[in-house]
Amino acid sequence: MAKKLRQVAIYGKGGIGKSTTTQNLTAGLAELNKNIMVVGCDPKADSTRLLLGGLHQKTVLDTVRDNRQNVTLDHLVKTGFAGIRCVESGGPEPGVGCAGRGIITSIDMLENLGAYTEDLDYVFYDVLGDVVCGGFAMPIREGKAKEIYIVASGEMMSLYAANNISRGVAKYAAKGEVRLGGIICNSRNVDRELDLLRAFAKALGTHLVYYVPRDNIVQRAEINRKTVIEYRPNSGQAAEYRALAKAIEENDQYVIPTPISQDDLEQLLMDYGMMELADEFDI
Amino acid sequence: MKLNLNNSAVPTRENRLGSITGYVGDLNDLVDQSRNGTLKNRERCFSQSSGCLSGCAIGMVAAIRDVAVIYHAPSGCTLYTTILGDQLATRINTSYDTHLVGTDMNESDTVFGALDSVRDIVYKVKKQYNPKAIFIASSCVTGVIGEDIDSVVEELDEEFDIPVIAIHCEGFKSRIWASGFDIGDHAVLQHLVKPPVEKRNVINFKNFFESERPQITELFAKLGVTPQFLYANSTVEELSHLSESLATVCICGTLGTYLGNGLEELYGVPYVRTINPMGMAGFDAWFREIGRIIGKEPEVEALLQEERDKYLPEIERLKPELEGLTAVIGMGPGYTYEVARVLQELGIKVVWAAAWHYDYKYDNNEVPPALDYLQNTSPNNIELSVADQQNFEIMNILKQYNPDLYFSRHPGSTVWAIKHGISAVYVADEYMIFGYKGTLNFIRNILDTVRNRSFETNLAKRTKTPYTDWWYDQENHIMMV
Repeated sequence: MAKKLRQVAIYGKGGIGKSTTTQNLTAGLAELNKNIMVVGCDPKADSTRLLLGGLHQKTVLDTVRDNRQNVTLDHLVKTGFAGIRCVESGGPEPGVGCAGRGIITSIDMLENLGAYTEDLDYVFYDVLGDVVCGGFAMPIREGKAKEIYIVASGEMMSLYAANNISRGVAKYAAKGEVRLGGIICNSRNVDRELDLLRAFAKALGTHLVYYVPRDNIVQRAEINRKTVIEYRPNSGQAAEYRALAKAIEENDQYVIPTPISQDDLEQLLMDYGMMELADEFDI
Repeated sequence: MKLNLNNSAVPTRENRLGSITGYVGDLNDLVDQSRNGTLKNRERCFSQSSGCLSGCAIGMVAAIRDVAVIYHAPSGCTLYTTILGDQLATRINTSYDTHLVGTDMNESDTVFGALDSVRDIVYKVKKQYNPKAIFIASSCVTGVIGEDIDSVVEELDEEFDIPVIAIHCEGFKSRIWASGFDIGDHAVLQHLVKPPVEKRNVINFKNFFESERPQITELFAKLGVTPQFLYANSTVEELSHLSESLATVCICGTLGTYLGNGLEELYGVPYVRTINPMGMAGFDAWFREIGRIIGKEPEVEALLQEERDKYLPEIERLKPELEGLTAVIGMGPGYTYEVARVLQELGIKVVWAAAWHYDYKYDNNEVPPALDYLQNTSPNNIELSVADQQNFEIMNILKQYNPDLYFSRHPGSTVWAIKHGISAVYVADEYMIFGYKGTLNFIRNILDTVRNRSFETNLAKRTKTPYTDWWYDQENHIMMV
């Protein structure tokens, strides 16, 4: 019997750590003997740097730009850490063209070339920032990714973006199979972050899949162009990412999110973020 | 208006003039609402058709002789754009070497932007055709991806010894294709018209197809002035002198408002804002105003008398045959009210007039003269709608009023009237009713149309229209919300 391919898209505010989380998470899944492809949907083309030990040299859109004929998957798919297949969509220079359209073009091309092979357990789409236009919503449209995870922290703008992304997911969930799998907290050491994220997830009708604590080893691994799992396999942070991988593997909660109003979001932040405020004003 | 020549883009008619595409009511209501500023657009929940402003914008500048227009757009958009300059040049025995070049934007150009290829195309076009000016037009795609056409234009304009000009005509900007006329005028005003050096005995004359070019040239010669026809087969050099002319006139208020008001505001060239020269009253009013501006009133009176002597007896002889005919009109906002006026002058009753859009004011902030005049002279209030080529509404109106005639400036629409058994006159040429001569020809045309209706009758018998009885039973404006 053919395996069921899980197509997962990771969204979240710019700079929240989507790429870092995705790559460490997929490294953890690879250790569970899963066959994985990571598709970077960011014009910067740096979503697979840690898995490949450096930047992917040939993006899907490079081949479109060069108008190259007879392009095969070998040109586009590079194999990285633990056999993870890595593809970068790429895109235009900042301030030129349309990166959103680029994502659409790129995913169509991957499909046409047969990149989604039957032996795959997972395809991960690592998508730029917020859902900024129709192009960036591509992975959650037309039955591409069916599981969405949102990376967030306890910072307000991160939750604001997460709530917005939920709107996009809810919109497409109404007419398709896409569902929100949960929130992944990439900790910024904000006050009562865990409680806040749990409450936020609950408000959206979903759950906190995992709380990834902050640890500088992640930065050191990044400088070395490696995932933490590869760089320090025995570290505590590597164990955290393995646990995240396990949580994703075992996740069975898929919902149509219920985005909240701006007022409700701010109230949530007041409830969880302002507790210690009175003390801070003591002189 | 306050013309902003620092910006290469022109505000749309909706934003600049408060123009609308959806309305139903009557003449008095429309004029009153225009005056007191309460007129609102009514959106449609169903729209059968629309037009794209880029065709109008590019049509304007591509009519200029010996220039090049580079349309930065997918090939389908370029295909849609037609140029008439060549045919008109043949008519006046001159050469016309303007080229329209599409950049054929594809998927890759959309993702990455394609300003480099635009630059290459400009170099190639310059080398190959040696144009007197190069226009680079934007499209919906370039608008969506934010292609910075202005930067290329700026760079090349500095480098070349000819003007390189941006035309911002993204189709989605406006529902009103006449916004494209303004875009063309803006480019000419901004880049080609130079400040005046000396006054010349020339009248700027903006029009479409120039069929009466010889007659107008002859009439103007009697006043000692030369018409500068715009833009078909005008040259870049001629356009640079528009500021030195005695006045600007336009055959259509919709077509001329931006250029006419712009030249007046920037260089003090008076813009003739009367009803247009269609029919007898229009011809008189229009020529008298020209005479007043250029100080040739006696000459104008002599000219008018000459025309009357020549054509009026025959007009008066035939006019009684038109008495009592009923008509529905479907035309652009300029012509709807002008033609309604002429029909009433001839004794035809206008039972409904539908305009493709409506500018409740022109660029001088006044209600269009044609509408003002119509309200003052119309024997009865006229039912009106604004329906941007919504043929289903027109067919509903025709079915309800069953007029003797349908007058339209849309050939497709006249065909559908005929399929409903209603005789139709296609008022395509802007000079069809020009002056006394045109009025006489128009009367003859109408009489030819109504005297023999066998074609309409027989075609209607054999045609099944796509509209159901349900639709004909509805009020024509029920799709407006």
